Amino acid sequence: MRARLPSTSLLVALAVVALTAPFWLTNPYWLHVLIMGGIFAVLALSLNLLLGYTGQLSLGHAAFFGIGAYASALTTLKLERSAWEGLALAALLAGLAGWAIGRLALKLRGAYFVLVTISFAGVISLVSVNWMELTNGPLGLPGIPAPELGPWSFRTKRAYYYLVLAAVALSYLVCRRLVGSRIGRAFLALRENEALAESVGIDVTRYLVLAAVISAAMAGVAGGLYAHYTRFVSPEVFLFTYTVTMVIMVVAGGKGTLAGPIVGALLFTALPEALREVTSWQWQMLTYGLILVLLVFFLPRGIVPTLSRLRKSP
Amino acid sequence: MEALLQHLVNGLVLGGTYALLGIGLTLIFGLMNVVNFAHGEFYTLGAYTAFATLALLGLPFLAAIPAAIVVGIVLGALCERVLLRPLRGESIDSVMLVMIGLWIAMQNAELLGWGGVAKSVPHPFPTKPLVVGPLGIAPLRLFVFVTAIALIVGAQLVIHRTKLGRAMRATFQDADTAALMGVRIGRIHTATFALGSGLAAAAGALLGPIFLVYPSMGDLASLKAFSVVILGGLGNVAGATFGGLLLGVVEELGAGYISSGYRDAVGFVIIILVLLLRPSGLFARTERIG
Amino acid sequence: MLKRWLVFGLAVVLVLGAGAPVPAQSQAPVKIGVIQPLSGAVAASGNYIRMGAEIARDWINAKGGVNGRKVELVIEDNKSDPKEAASAAEKLIVRDKVPAIMGAWGSSMTLAAMPKLEEYGVPMVVETSSAATITKRGNPWIFRISPPSEMEALGLEPYVSKLGVKKADFLAVNTDWGRGAVTAFGDVLKKKGESVGVVEYMDQAATDMSAQLTKIKGSGGDTLFVTTAVEQITLILKQAQEQRVTRKIITTGGSSSPTQLIKQAGAAAEGSYHIVFFMPWFPEAMPDGKLAKAFVDEWAKRGHPFEGLTEGFRGHDGIATIAEAVRLAGKDEPKAVRDALWKVNISGVNGPIKFEKDGPAGKESGQSKPSIFIVQVRDGKVALPTFK
Repeated sequence: MRARLPSTSLLVALAVVALTAPFWLTNPYWLHVLIMGGIFAVLALSLNLLLGYTGQLSLGHAAFFGIGAYASALTTLKLERSAWEGLALAALLAGLAGWAIGRLALKLRGAYFVLVTISFAGVISLVSVNWMELTNGPLGLPGIPAPELGPWSFRTKRAYYYLVLAAVALSYLVCRRLVGSRIGRAFLALRENEALAESVGIDVTRYLVLAAVISAAMAGVAGGLYAHYTRFVSPEVFLFTYTVTMVIMVVAGGKGTLAGPIVGALLFTALPEALREVTSWQWQMLTYGLILVLLVFFLPRGIVPTLSRLRKSP
Repeated sequence: MEALLQHLVNGLVLGGTYALLGIGLTLIFGLMNVVNFAHGEFYTLGAYTAFATLALLGLPFLAAIPAAIVVGIVLGALCERVLLRPLRGESIDSVMLVMIGLWIAMQNAELLGWGGVAKSVPHPFPTKPLVVGPLGIAPLRLFVFVTAIALIVGAQLVIHRTKLGRAMRATFQDADTAALMGVRIGRIHTATFALGSGLAAAAGALLGPIFLVYPSMGDLASLKAFSVVILGGLGNVAGATFGGLLLGVVEELGAGYISSGYRDAVGFVIIILVLLLRPSGLFARTERIG
Repeated sequence: MLKRWLVFGLAVVLVLGAGAPVPAQSQAPVKIGVIQPLSGAVAASGNYIRMGAEIARDWINAKGGVNGRKVELVIEDNKSDPKEAASAAEKLIVRDKVPAIMGAWGSSMTLAAMPKLEEYGVPMVVETSSAATITKRGNPWIFRISPPSEMEALGLEPYVSKLGVKKADFLAVNTDWGRGAVTAFGDVLKKKGESVGVVEYMDQAATDMSAQLTKIKGSGGDTLFVTTAVEQITLILKQAQEQRVTRKIITTGGSSSPTQLIKQAGAAAEGSYHIVFFMPWFPEAMPDGKLAKAFVDEWAKRGHPFEGLTEGFRGHDGIATIAEAVRLAGKDEPKAVRDALWKVNISGVNGPIKFEKDGPAGKESGQSKPSIFIVQVRDGKVALPTFK
């Protein structure tokens, strides 16, 4: 089952819209929403690699996000290096953590893997709160600088938007190449029927670890982007709600597709903000929960697969 | 030595309630393969029911636990029929997402209905601790421990001595064969979810008077319940019992002797270690499922 | 078919979100943004602040408003999450075009929102956060009316010997607030020649502190300083009683709501001391007794829980401060309001509000010097300490 590719004209239209967004979106608030949506899109794509393609559910993904955020923040604050080095280190350290989780997955599947990932995130969260010397604990790390490229600084929203857009495009391309390659086919074989995959000689563990590393590294980069945009990280990045949000984005958007996580990320970043407008604060979270339940009921496969099936049907 | 014994006592009392939470979840998770993130919300629901029964309606103290159990069972059955039954056969993460939605909805409904201020549940026990040698234990905590054990025994009886329990065990071991033998799988699922939720609600009603009742109290409870399930082995009720007690004691000792900041990490580390070394749980004798 | 409608419905919601801009009118209300944790773990506190803010708004409007215009509060929930605090600030500034904000309760939420203030040039009055860095970071758009932990500790200094504190242990919540309090109070004690014993922390959501209390019991100290929210204080008092930890307990931070402690901890609260910034039990003893009493009465009239007063007053003082600044500025333009904040000199429920410079030269933030009080629970009631 190959990933469904959207038609070329649709892609071109989307690209034009995306590239010119800062010019026709007069309200910087929506640019802010798009930037956050883009960061979460990278996150969702990374989680989708594990969940959608290898079938393993990692509920500790916030750990990779947070490790990346802290790594990049500390690189620029304490080591006084550039944000680009920070992002690279973020990818590296998060990838390393992914490798560790991947190796753990050697023995575990399904629900057990889920629980190990939750526990891992829980431990990392507590470390970030308690290890004051490194992370400044609950006080957090304020004043993270924006990335600079020569004389240009990415401080402005417009500039940052393009940075994030580039990251999303890059992540999408990486995923697409991966999925279309031999490795991708191995992932799918793994997801569909692991025993069978093993019997035809696919080295299941190697591919799982690979998926985990790439997925974690991408999440780490997303974390770094987040750190340099919000300019403040605190242990709250490890909150379970971040992982939950990511999972919602992937599953509601359509796991196992490439557009699904992006759509899910944009939707579920915009939705809470839209709820700010539409409902008063008392009802926001309750409405959010109810919408989630409704979504799963009516679109259990996710938005993108449902839409493409609607498109195909006469 | 005195401190050690005190830690042990504290740990056992807490562990009894962890066991209740764990038994409920191991049934749901083990039998229905549902990652029930809303489990903690039934715990909270039980606590609020106790509050409503005692503080608002002014009923006698012993009415609180049965009230909570009934509310837990009824709402659990309702949730299963309305939310889970239609999704039977969907992937594990779609179901999980619905449970997450339920979790968010329930917690915020409680926030809306009861307000964020923590509520205190009245109880008739004296506050002066019972002193046995060097150990002190509050009468309320003793009551909680005894009641928890009683409920655990009750649950065991239901599972091992009743027709329903037999049907549940059969479904757990092999759903297809059980169906062929005439077991109504749908009914069993409803009963399982209801029973599990009822036990969680009981745990909430028991701990409510000791601690306080507030909307987010269930979050940590959910996570601890998952730890207990892993410790004891999926679907293993006896394992969950011992696992719960063990978790309570290990947490207390860890907080007392290693570091109180990392107290909750203990549960997580246990999960990781057990899953690495003995994935079927410390007490399982049967094959790992899944 | 149903599916299509759902997608459509979501699209409608998003479209609604894009919204039509509100046309500006000369008699349009003065909007003040409020960012508080209205859901999540600390929802109770955020809601008390909101209630206090609403009283301030209604009083101001009853007297004719500000510069002839009504005051309107635009309230956003930061969901106890710094990321949401930043988004809420962005929305308030960019979409609602508020000239000033009050927020954001927790120090990490305030810190997360601060870059937005600088980006757009909008002032924020900080009503609760206690982390020192907030006013020391060189953000000239920050004006704080709550005391940082250092200031609070200095407020305790004159009472250290009167209370007979010789060796103190600390039990604090593991957040910036708890840690800041431990450092600040520890420094004051050492300055007075007393010693610090055991320092223990607990997670914000922890319910069982028996392990920490057992360690504290064995420390040989005579006083225990507790810094955390009222729910955890209740649990600590009860558990301390169960474990027979008998020593002087002093809570810090001002959110201890002694009335609630008496209600929920009962006899376990007896004898404990509490550092508060508002004494709703003796409003006449406050610097502006009349205002304080009026506030307590109005709060009761609205049916709000008495326990919330010890936090709710902050909401009132924050809004009163901003309204006064708008009045002085003559218009609701952010920079003018910011400049006017330096000229504010009013009497709030807590006492006089006037900002002094704090932080690096050229980029100072404003910090007011709030009044600090200490009360004791005696015979099941809140009383002023006997040594006073």
